[in-house]
Amino acid sequence: MIYVLSRAAGPTVRPFVALEIRRAVRNRRFLVFTVGFPLVLYLLYTTAGVATAGSADHDPIVGGMHFSAYFMVSMASFAAMSAAFTVGGIRLSMERASGWVRQLRVTPLPAAVYVVGKVLVALAIMLPALVLVAVAAVVANDVSLPLQTWIRLLVSIWLGSLPLVALAILLGYLFDVEAAQAAQMLLLFGLSIFGGLFVPVQSLPDALATIARMTPTYQLADLGWRAIVGQTPDLGGVCLLAAYTAVFGVLVAWRYRADERGR
Amino acid sequence: MTNQPSNTLSLEPIPTPAAETTRATDVAPAPWATKPTMAVSFTGVTKRYGAVTALSDLELQLGAGSTVALLGPNGAGKSTAIGLMLGLLHPDAGTVTVLGQSPASAVSAGRVGGMLQESGLPVGVTVAELVDFVRSLYPHPLSRADVLAQAGLADLAARQVERLSGGETQRVRFALAVAGDPDLVFLDEPTVAMDVETRQAFWRDIRGFAAAGRTVLFATHYLEEADQVADRIVVLDHGRTVADGTPSALKAMAAGRVVRFTLPSADSAAQRAALRALPGVTEVAIHGDDVTLRSADADATVRAAFAADLPLRDLEVTGLDLEAAFLALTSNSGSSASSHADHEEIR
Repeated sequence: MIYVLSRAAGPTVRPFVALEIRRAVRNRRFLVFTVGFPLVLYLLYTTAGVATAGSADHDPIVGGMHFSAYFMVSMASFAAMSAAFTVGGIRLSMERASGWVRQLRVTPLPAAVYVVGKVLVALAIMLPALVLVAVAAVVANDVSLPLQTWIRLLVSIWLGSLPLVALAILLGYLFDVEAAQAAQMLLLFGLSIFGGLFVPVQSLPDALATIARMTPTYQLADLGWRAIVGQTPDLGGVCLLAAYTAVFGVLVAWRYRADERGR
Repeated sequence: MTNQPSNTLSLEPIPTPAAETTRATDVAPAPWATKPTMAVSFTGVTKRYGAVTALSDLELQLGAGSTVALLGPNGAGKSTAIGLMLGLLHPDAGTVTVLGQSPASAVSAGRVGGMLQESGLPVGVTVAELVDFVRSLYPHPLSRADVLAQAGLADLAARQVERLSGGETQRVRFALAVAGDPDLVFLDEPTVAMDVETRQAFWRDIRGFAAAGRTVLFATHYLEEADQVADRIVVLDHGRTVADGTPSALKAMAAGRVVRFTLPSADSAAQRAALRALPGVTEVAIHGDDVTLRSADADATVRAAFAADLPLRDLEVTGLDLEAAFLALTSNSGSSASSHADHEEIR
């Protein structure tokens, strides 16, 4: 997918993506929230018994799979969302406010590459965080999956995170830096909690579980959970993800055009 | 006005004693007007922001290879003009072409570089990385070493951009504007945030860059910069060209010399009338006993003042610097500009 998107965006996308990856990876927020936080939370929940305290079973079955696999998908989804916000959100808002986006527009970089490039960067930088969570699952909890399941898992999380990437980019276009900062934290943890990434939907009250199923975060993780148990993706969920992507994408395009016209 | 020939030098004919910058039909066209390729051409360009008209029916032709200053007070329309030339803005009326094509296609062809006002740099990269990135966007960039040398950044290549001083940041922004080796560079108030020394070094770099036959257009309200660096100055005020010519022509256009002296009880109606009646005097300014006259013929003015037996002291006669010329030009716009004597005050 990265290949297809980068071909479509033309020859300048590669240097842009390379620069942006370098910048994102040096961002402390990236190390803390995208790489560190999901890994630590995963290990705490699945090996230190935080989630299963008081229960005899250290790795209970949740949603048809062991909790160690289930929560790996939860944390991978969190890492994916966090990577999206590292690239969009506050940082994009800062780049617009500082005039860097305008400066790029007086170079031959096609304006659309800025947006398409951001998507690619988000997909690229989430990879190490996903791999780390997966390695932790394999090493610490003996999670074992066939190769094609691992591949389907990665593709599911990549595709399923597109609405979150679009949302993060939209945030950067909608808000000034301070508002983006607040909105980003609110969305990152709000969508995780209400999307059932921290507490499995199965153990939520019905009302909350219904809300959870409306979130892009739950639907993203659901793609992964279904990959693990070998179910086909839920059509309704896929449609919801596509709808979110479309709505956020259209809003981004609208704000982006407003920028193009010169405020 | 829009029907004037394309090599018209100034939008507003400015009648002055000096004919150097009058209509093109009156004098031989200046070199920049005869070159076949226009670097920049504005034809009847109007740009509005809501009720505010930023540029009004602007005509401007800039030939290739020149260094042009766009001079004017804040709000004159300088940044708007540059935004239009870079394709960041679109005119409400008229057309802008850059190197014979639309600004947007000149930009995407990599033939144009720009240094915008207050454009920040992204955090998390070194100077060299940023320069290399911008170089990679252009078809025929300068080498990294050349770019860093041009902008005086050789020692700062490995520095993170967020650790740079204000002046150094400006240099990086200049480096990014020239990294692609463009034919035409736009600089919008490039020396803001630079101290005097840095500023001088910066203009040395710009001259070096322009010397290779490139076209440089910069906006400034530092008059001495325009005077020292540009070979042509376009003065904008309220979205119109109020003057256009070489620095010396502009100075000549604002005419004459300044005669200063002290005259006891100068500030009376009778003295004022007497001073105004002196030959050559175009403007009179009186502050207490200090008198400042602008004169088209300082010799005659001084001779007549002594002949009239005015008890003047501390006589001083100086040429106009560009600042004074500039103030005269921009303070005049709006009035017909035909008579400087309409103005009581020089400053």
